[in-house]
Amino acid sequence: MLVANLRLRWTVLLLFAVLSPLLSLGFGSAQLSPVTIASCLFDQCPTAMDQLIFFELRLPRILAALLVGGGLAIAGNSLQTVTRNGLADPYLFGVVAGAGLGAALVSVLPQTMSWLPDNAALPTAAFVGASLSVFIVHGLAMSAWARSPEQLLLAGIAISLMLSAATHMVLYLGEPFAANKVMFWLMGSISRIEVWQLWLLLLPVLLVAVVSWLLGRRFDALLMGDDTATSLGVPVARMRLLGLLMCALLTAVVVSQCGGIGFVGLMIPHIVRRWFGVTTRTVVVGCLLMGGGFLVWADTLARSLASDQEIPIGIITSAIGSVFFLLLMRTRRW
Amino acid sequence: MKSADGLHLNNLSARVANTRVLDDVCLQLPRGRVLGILGPNGAGKTTLLRAIAGLSGREFQLAGECRWEGLETARMTLQQRARQIALVKQLNDPVFELTLYQVVRMGLLPHQPLLALPDAVDDHEVSKSLKRVGLLDKSQQAFATLSGGEQQRGLIARALVQRAQLLLLDEPVNHLDVFYQHEILGLLRQLAVETGLTIVMSLHDLNLAAFYCDDLLILQNGQQQASGPVAEVLQQELLQQVFGLPCIVRHENHGVRVDFCPSHTGWQREGN
Repeated sequence: MLVANLRLRWTVLLLFAVLSPLLSLGFGSAQLSPVTIASCLFDQCPTAMDQLIFFELRLPRILAALLVGGGLAIAGNSLQTVTRNGLADPYLFGVVAGAGLGAALVSVLPQTMSWLPDNAALPTAAFVGASLSVFIVHGLAMSAWARSPEQLLLAGIAISLMLSAATHMVLYLGEPFAANKVMFWLMGSISRIEVWQLWLLLLPVLLVAVVSWLLGRRFDALLMGDDTATSLGVPVARMRLLGLLMCALLTAVVVSQCGGIGFVGLMIPHIVRRWFGVTTRTVVVGCLLMGGGFLVWADTLARSLASDQEIPIGIITSAIGSVFFLLLMRTRRW
Repeated sequence: MKSADGLHLNNLSARVANTRVLDDVCLQLPRGRVLGILGPNGAGKTTLLRAIAGLSGREFQLAGECRWEGLETARMTLQQRARQIALVKQLNDPVFELTLYQVVRMGLLPHQPLLALPDAVDDHEVSKSLKRVGLLDKSQQAFATLSGGEQQRGLIARALVQRAQLLLLDEPVNHLDVFYQHEILGLLRQLAVETGLTIVMSLHDLNLAAFYCDDLLILQNGQQQASGPVAEVLQQELLQQVFGLPCIVRHENHGVRVDFCPSHTGWQREGN
């Protein structure tokens, strides 16, 4: 790859990540003109209504999309690196299924979480459920069941199916209204994000991005195989556990706040590797920018495609993503 | 020779899931020498290399003693060991398309602090090693797209960057054509002479081993059958017993030649 060409690609990606949120500020059920947006950003909004829409609804949502997209992409890369498998998906380890189980339980039995404010009960329960799956994954990784990355992935699939079965059982026994609520929640949405939740997303995304970047060269060594990595002085088991936990925690936080958002964690790292290179440091930066920018546009579509209602963002990411990915595959061997 | 010099194995054994796969190997290899490990498939050649590299774990338990320059390798930290001993495994494509440069740069890991940033000195080290193995012009190519011989040379360059004193190679000329076989082994031989590198490698071809190695060690079912200088180890009776084929061993003035005569297959070419 030519150096000049690579620099151009990075410039385009950077512009994409910076301009996407700015442009998408103008889209939504309430129209904000470029002048209004500019005055909100740099001075003061023209009206109190604009102020409310801009700062309480639109801006948090776009920032959340940036964080969620970047976070899921990094989580995906982390898992793919430590399992040496480009098909590993961060949702594989039952994090979504675990979150779903938590969400289902609290929806069917609302009194269990009545001590929490209404809008926090479901995310909290989902986080507890997701953490449960993280603990199971941790246990698996430390146990004799997961002798190889392949076995770890298969065990993850089994855990995921087990938790889904439990969720479906709870929903089947519960009332239809609660089941509906959980199903819609699992399709993913960023529309419910409030400002305090942004901090909840920002911290883990930043933490995982920084740790992955700093330890990047050691994560790269894992790609050469366990024996080679060990002979290079890399503590393979510890690095694998770290990568796994980073992925699981990041996914748990995102899923509990936004439900299930497919495609991003699996595909964005692939595209970044193809266009920018495969070393961890490169991929982490690329994932933050591309995942963030991608999800901003997906969320923009979610809130503006149908005029009278929101479309779950998970449907949009999976629909666009899969077609885009198939087109990309056509142009080269993987 | 001081006993501290070089590689010293004393009853080195290994178990995989409670099955003994390597039995009491004893060896004394002075610094700067080239040792070839021979034996049929499944004899424990790779196991012995992994044991010397100290890759013990839950699934791979070691017993006995392995000393390098007087220090017991089991007591070294991962990083200390990585600065002394480099391992070149059999070729397999890395999962994602790392470039040759990125693969070779990994040899710097044992010498870098945990949070190392890119550095011009690193660049120099990597380029120097790539030049030594004749691959400087291919540094930006994807590792997986290189030929087998180039990949093998790339991995040797990584070991050079690692600045290890003991180099372990698992069948370095497997899958290579005759030209590359001699190129790789010739390169290793030169490195041993130039830098005093000690080399331990597993090989299948007895004649290549006889030509390029100083010492040989023969394994069968995890048991050491013989070890010592080439001419002492390559004995007709021993080779016939280990490899299960009749053979002729000729000690000529420029070395030893082994020819197997697979008469038991029933196939014989006319006119020979």
